[in-house]
This record gives sequence, structure tokens and C-alpha cells, in this order.
Amino acid sequence: MMSRTLFVRLFAGITVLGCAWIAYTQAPQGKDGKQAKQPNNTIQKVTDDLYAIIGDGGNSSVYITNEGVILVDDKFEYDGQDIIDKVKSVTNQPIKYVLNTHLHGDHTGSNVLFLPRAEVIATKMARDNMVKNNQPGVMRVTFTDETDIFLGGKEVRMKYYGRGHTNGDAVVYFPALRILASGDLGANNGPNVDFANGGSMKEWAQTLDGVLKLDFNTVIPGHGPVSPRQYLIDYRNVAAGIPTTVTSMVRQGKGKDEIAKVFTTNGGLWANPNVVNKLDQIMAELK
Amino acid sequence: MTRTALVRFSALTIALGCGWIAYTQAPPQGKDGKQQAKQANNKLNKVTDDLYEIEGDGGNVAVYLTNEGVIVVDDKFEYDFNDIMAKIKSVTNQPVKYVLNTHHHGDHTGSNAQFPPATELISTLNARKNMIEGKQSGAPRVTFTQETDVFLGGKHVQMRYFGRGHTNGDAMVYFPALRLIHAGDLMAGTSPLIDYAGGGSLKEWAATLDAAMKLDFDTVIPGHGPIAKKADMLTYRNNVEKLRTEITGIVRQKKSRDEIAKVVQDKYGWAPSGLQFQRGFDGMLAELAR
Repeated sequence: MMSRTLFVRLFAGITVLGCAWIAYTQAPQGKDGKQAKQPNNTIQKVTDDLYAIIGDGGNSSVYITNEGVILVDDKFEYDGQDIIDKVKSVTNQPIKYVLNTHLHGDHTGSNVLFLPRAEVIATKMARDNMVKNNQPGVMRVTFTDETDIFLGGKEVRMKYYGRGHTNGDAVVYFPALRILASGDLGANNGPNVDFANGGSMKEWAQTLDGVLKLDFNTVIPGHGPVSPRQYLIDYRNVAAGIPTTVTSMVRQGKGKDEIAKVFTTNGGLWANPNVVNKLDQIMAELK
Repeated sequence: MTRTALVRFSALTIALGCGWIAYTQAPPQGKDGKQQAKQANNKLNKVTDDLYEIEGDGGNVAVYLTNEGVIVVDDKFEYDFNDIMAKIKSVTNQPVKYVLNTHHHGDHTGSNAQFPPATELISTLNARKNMIEGKQSGAPRVTFTQETDVFLGGKHVQMRYFGRGHTNGDAMVYFPALRLIHAGDLMAGTSPLIDYAGGGSLKEWAATLDAAMKLDFDTVIPGHGPIAKKADMLTYRNNVEKLRTEITGIVRQKKSRDEIAKVVQDKYGWAPSGLQFQRGFDGMLAELAR
């Protein structure tokens, strides 16, 4: 017969899992899950013709030309009208192109709104993943290696350099501005690998090595504040350090818990809950 | 000046003048240079239930019908635009949503500028660069380097760059569901036209076709000429390679330009007045001498 203690523990466990599930499935509605559908964004001027919209979901970049606007990433579905309003506050030009850095709903959520009026472009792998996951807002045009958009005398270059956050991450480069929108290949304080969508901890740093061959001074990261180039160099070193550290500790016979500590306590640069949470998959990839 | 000399000089001047007019008017007037040059002369051929070909002036056009719009490959000369649109209208009410250019030449991109802004034009990055360099109108806004895929109305079209050949920016357009490919001028006529000014290469042409033939298709719409089979592409590829091998051998024997010109004329049909000779001959000698 089940003891009372065990029952309580089991019940608590189920409750926690249930809550986690609700939190997970509601994730697109914002971290706190409260009043989720109210957009909360600010538009920030980066140069005379480039703005960043920062707040919900991934950062959006807004490149203004005299023939229309090129938008990078479009946050959640409930941010769509707010993005349009924010763009309208700085230009009368319509949004002509929406470039998605990857498949995730916090970067592609408003695609459904833009698809009838703009060309939405992503890597083929990003699209394949969206189709596989039954996501709305699947784009009509994809590329594998590089696509260049020419609008109003300006150029935007979208490139794929390899796996990292997913298997279909693009970066968007503004050559005339020497600015890069890095998508989630550079986001917040450290890598978060989406293994289910083809991401790779092993290849991430190498992918950023490719990205860093581009000539830019400023990074608009996938999440977090607009930063200097050094941000992505540091990020690359962290991305290189994680697999090296994990592999060498495994060789020394260290267990998962011990490895997790490196990324939990006083890790400084290394502290990264995403590494702790996905340590099993990271260790499996590095085997 | 004697009277005979004057007559001869006048005749020569007139001939040169006419030649110049014919030359500068050449693209819109078609091959024969006759009157009524701007009259479009095309025929619509049904290839499958949802794919049509428009042949006649300039390069062959492919028309792919979907229930969300039409995907068009190449758009001939400027004066063919209305005829292309009328031909498409005769088989569907859907608007043209995408125009895919296989390369930059005016007989494949001539109507680009007339499509409304809502139509997306796509080509390789190099094809666009060549158009800008040549001050051509209607340069695409969207380009790619290796592959771009267009998904419309549940259908899929794949545009690929396999390497240099006719130019440095030739794309082929693959219709996986139909096992059909539009080869652009990487396969056109019987003997290759190598546009060296546009970055073409005889040396690399066969390898480019080898890469293309790894795709799974049965039917080929060539850039010019009748609809063909995959085996015909292999024949074309072997012909390209034969030309390269033979001319490389002669170039190494230090034969004169005239001697080599006679070989390409007699064995490959390159008339001295034709585009193959004029755009390709000296560039070919230079490339093969390297």
C-alpha cells in the first residue's frame, strides 16, 4: 500500500509537472503568463535608417528604404500590429520584406499577418522545421546559403553559416551600416541549443567563426540589448568553451552533477541554465 | 576621287550604316531584322496539366500554375510582355506571383520591368550584378547564390546554381513534382554560346551540367529549342566537353586564330557573324590557353 508520504510526494510531483507543462505550452504568451496578449515593446534608433524593436520575444530590426521597409523577425502573433505601429512611427513606407532568422514562434509569430502583404524569407531548414511542427506563418521563399535583398538602393544580406541554436539559423547583415542581426546564434548571455530542431552545441562556435568573418561593428542580438562586435566574439568563445569543458570533464570521469555545477555556481561567463537543463543532450552530442 | 571610288565609298557607307542600325536594333527586332520587329510571335504549349511552355521569341518561358498564383520562368523580350500575359490568361485566372530569371540576358529578362511590384523577380546574385553592369532595366530585388525554393499553392519550385557555363550566374529551375527542369541557356541550341563578358566558362560548363543531372528529372525545357529529355542533356554535355577537348588540343598546337575559327565553323556551326563566335570565340581561346 502506498504510504502517505509517498502519495504527497507523487501528488506534488504531478502538480509541478502539470504547471511546467502549462507554462511550457503557454510560453508564446510571455514569460510570466500574465496578460499575455498585450504587446510591450519599444523602438530604438540604431542609425538614421535602422531601428530595433525590443521587448516581447526576439528583437526585430527595421531597415528603412525609399521603396519599403525590410523587417528582421516579427516576435509573437500578438506583437504584429504593434510592430506595424512602431514602424509607422518612423516611416510611411510599407513593410515589403520580413526576414526570419529561425523558426521559433518568438521570431516568426506575426508572419501570418505579414504573409499576404510582404515577402517572408527564411532558410529552407527553418521552413522545414516550421512545417514539421505545424507552425502557422510558413513562408513562400527560402534559401540555403545566401540571399540578398535589394530595395530602394540598399542591400541586405541574409546568410546561413551552419548549425547552432537550430539547424536553420540565418544572420542578417547590413553592409552599408556594418551592422549584424545575429538571431539566436547570439542571444542573451549564452547558447541555448534546440536539439529537437537540429541545433548543435558542438558546431555553434564554428558557425560563429563564419559569421565573424563579416565586417560589422554592431550586433543586434536575437534577445538582449544592441551590443558592440565584441559581444559576439565573447559569445563565440563561450560557445567554444562549453563543449571543450564538458568533453574534458567526461574524460576525467566526472559525472553529470559535477559538470552541471560548472554551469550553475559562480560560473560567471559559464553560468547558463540552458546548459544545465540540456546537459544530457549536450553530453550525448559530444560522445 | 574617281566616280567608281565614290560609288563604292557611298555603298560601303550605306552598308555600314545599315549594319549598325541592324545591330543596334537587333534584340527587339529578332533574328531576321525584318519589319514589324516588335510584333510578338509565340506559341503556348501544354507540357503537363499545370505546366505550360511559351516558345517563339527569345528564350523559352515556363508557366507553372498553382491555386495561389503563377510561377513564370524567364520573360523573353520587352515586346513579348503583353503576349506572355495574354497566353497565361488563356489558361488561368491566377496572377503572376513569381518570375524566375535563369540568367541576365535580355531575351530572358526583357519583360522584367513591366511586371507590377507585387510580382517577385528572383535570380542569382551574379545575374543581377550582370544586369546592373549592363544597365538593364528590371533587376530583381531578391537574389540567391546556391539555392532558393519557392512554395506556392502547395507546389514547390527549386532554383539552383550549379556553376559557370553560359555566364557566371546561370540558374536552373527544377519542378520536383513534374520531374522537369528548365535548363536556361546551359542547354540551348546544339553548340554552347559562352558569354565571356558575362562570366561564362567553357572549362567549367560540363561540370555544371554534371551537377544538374544529379537531380531526378525526365523532361528538359532548354533555354532555346524544343522540349527535350534528360538523355539530350547528357548529349549536350558531351558535345560541350568535345568542343573543349578539341579546341584545347588545337590551342596547344599554337594554330592560328583563323585555323581555329575554321574548325569551330565547320565542325560546330559557329558562323563568324553568329553570337557563339562573337561572344565566345576569343574568350574561349584565352580561357583554354590558360
